[in-house]
Amino acid sequence: MPQLRDSSNQGPGNTTLRSPEYDSFHRIFGIETEYGVSVTGASKPCDPGQVAMMMFAPILSRSRSTNTYLENGSRLYLDVGSHPEYATAEARDPSTALAQDLAGEKIMRRLAIGAQERLRKTHGEHATIHLFKDNVDSAGHAFGCHENYLVRRYVSLPIIKSQLLPFLVTRQLFTGAGRVTENGFEITQRAAFLDEGVSSSTTRFRPMVNTRDEPHADPDEFRRLHVIIGDSNRSQWATKMKLATTHLVLCVIEDAAKRGIASGFEYCALSADPSVSNKAMSADLSCGKPVMQVEDIDALRTMQEKLGLMSSPSGLENHSETVTALEIQYLYWTIVSRFVDSHHDQIEQSLPDTDHADILREWKAALDALASKDFSSLSNRVDWAAKYQLLAKMKERNPELSPTQARQIDMNYHDVVNGSIYQSLVGHGLIETLVSDDAIEHALGNPPEDTRAALRGGFVHQALKAGAKFTCDWTHLKTSSPIRHEVELIDPFSCVPDSEYRRLVEDM
Amino acid sequence: MAQQFVQQQHQSEEPQSQAQSKTQKNDSSQLQEDALDAVLDDISSTLETDAETYVSSFVQKGGE
Repeated sequence: MPQLRDSSNQGPGNTTLRSPEYDSFHRIFGIETEYGVSVTGASKPCDPGQVAMMMFAPILSRSRSTNTYLENGSRLYLDVGSHPEYATAEARDPSTALAQDLAGEKIMRRLAIGAQERLRKTHGEHATIHLFKDNVDSAGHAFGCHENYLVRRYVSLPIIKSQLLPFLVTRQLFTGAGRVTENGFEITQRAAFLDEGVSSSTTRFRPMVNTRDEPHADPDEFRRLHVIIGDSNRSQWATKMKLATTHLVLCVIEDAAKRGIASGFEYCALSADPSVSNKAMSADLSCGKPVMQVEDIDALRTMQEKLGLMSSPSGLENHSETVTALEIQYLYWTIVSRFVDSHHDQIEQSLPDTDHADILREWKAALDALASKDFSSLSNRVDWAAKYQLLAKMKERNPELSPTQARQIDMNYHDVVNGSIYQSLVGHGLIETLVSDDAIEHALGNPPEDTRAALRGGFVHQALKAGAKFTCDWTHLKTSSPIRHEVELIDPFSCVPDSEYRRLVEDM
Repeated sequence: MAQQFVQQQHQSEEPQSQAQSKTQKNDSSQLQEDALDAVLDDISSTLETDAETYVSSFVQKGGE
C-alpha cells in the first residue's frame, strides 16, 4: 500500500510541474462494492466463510492469493468478514465506472455459480448460494459500497464536511436503495449504521466520509475522497447519478476553494451530529418533513431567497433549525446549474461520455417527482421507490404478508445470483437499464482505455499469458519471475506506456 | 362581462387538458399495474419457500 499521508489542509499547491488535469475539472471515479453471502437448502451446515472461499478457489489457484487484479484493471478480493469485494478500475466518466461495476457484479455471479455447482456435490442438490449486493445482513452487520473521487488537494476536510456532507446525506432521496427494517421501510440501507460525519474510522465507528487519504496519485496535487455513506444500488441509473451529481457538486466546491470564495453550499452545513439528520431523513417516507438540522437557518433562508427558492413552511412556523432534505437538494441543484452555465466547456470536457445537461435534467426531474410525492414515477430508476411500490402491491394482494416475507422480498431484489425480483422488474420494463449486456461483457475483459487502468489491465493480461509471476496494486506493477522488475504508475489519468512499462511487459 | 367570458373560456380549457393528461397517465399507470401484477406472478413461487430460513440464513460479520 502506498504511504499514508497526513490529511493536512493546504492551499493551492506550489508544485511547479503539475499534471495537465490539475487545472481542470477532470476526475477519476471508482466504486468498491462488498457483497453479502448466504446459503440455503444445504443438507448440512455451511457457513458464509466456507462459501466465500469456494467462490475464490479459482482466484486462489490463479494468483495464490484471494486478493488480485484483473485484466480489466479492477481489484477482486475477499474482505474482512468473508465479504467478496470488487473495486472498479480508474474511470474518467460515471458511465465507465457504472459498466465496470456491472462487470464486477457479473464476475461475482460467475464465481458464485461455479461455487454452487461444487457445493451441490457435497451439500445436496438443493444447496443454493445467495450473493447480496446490499449493505446489511439479518443480524444487523453492515458492509459497504464506497465511492472514490479524486479531488484537488486544496479542498480541505472542513470544506468537505460543511459543503459536501449535506449533499451526500440528501442525495439519498434518489440514490437510496431502501430497506425493510424492524421499524418499517426506510429510504436507505445504511443510515442506522453511520455514526459520524467525517473521520478516520472504518469498522468500529462508521463515518459518512472516511479521511483515509490514499490518493494513488501525486499527493501534492490530489486527495482521495472516500465516500462511505452510499448504498449499493441495483438501479444502473442510481449508480450513474450518484457519481455524476457528486462530481458536479465537487466541481463547484473545487472552483470556490481554489479561488477562495464562497460556493453557496456552506449555508447548508449540518449541525454537530449529521447522523441524526441522516437517520431522520431515511425514515421519512413522505420525503417532505423538515428533518435536516442545519447550523445557521437564517443564513440558509437568506440564500434560498437570493436564489429564488421556496422554503418549507413548517420550518418557518416553528422557527426551528430544520429544513427538508428536498430544500437542501434544490439549493445544490440551483447552484450547480448556474455554475455549469458559466463553466459549460470545462464541465463538458470533464465528462467524456456523459452529457451534463442530461444529468441536470434527470436530477431536477427526480427532485420534482419527490416534491409532488409522485414516488411511483421514480420506481423505474430509484431503488427504494421500486421496492416500496412492489411491497405495497404485494400487501394489496396478500394482506397477511409478514415482516419476514417483506424482508425476503427486499433481500431477493439484491441477490445477484439466485434473486428473481430485480430481473423480473427489468424484464417487464419496470426498471430501466443503461448498459447493454455486450457492454458489460466488454467491461469484464477490458479496462477503461483512458486511464492508468489500461496499463494495469494490459500488464495483467500479458503476465497471465506469459505465465509470469506478478503482483500489483493501484500504483505499482511487479514481476518476480522470469525477472524481477517493478514499475510505478503515479498518474491515474495517464494511459500512455513509458519506456519502463514497455520493458516490463516485453521482458515477461 | 367580456373579461369574465375570457376567464370562463380559459377555465374550460384547463380541465380539458388536465383531463387529457389524466387519461394518458391512467393508461400508463394501468400498464404499470399490469406489469407489476406479472412480476408478482413471477415471484410468487419464490415467496412460497421458507421466508424465515431464507432471512435468518444471512448472517455475516460486518465488513468495510
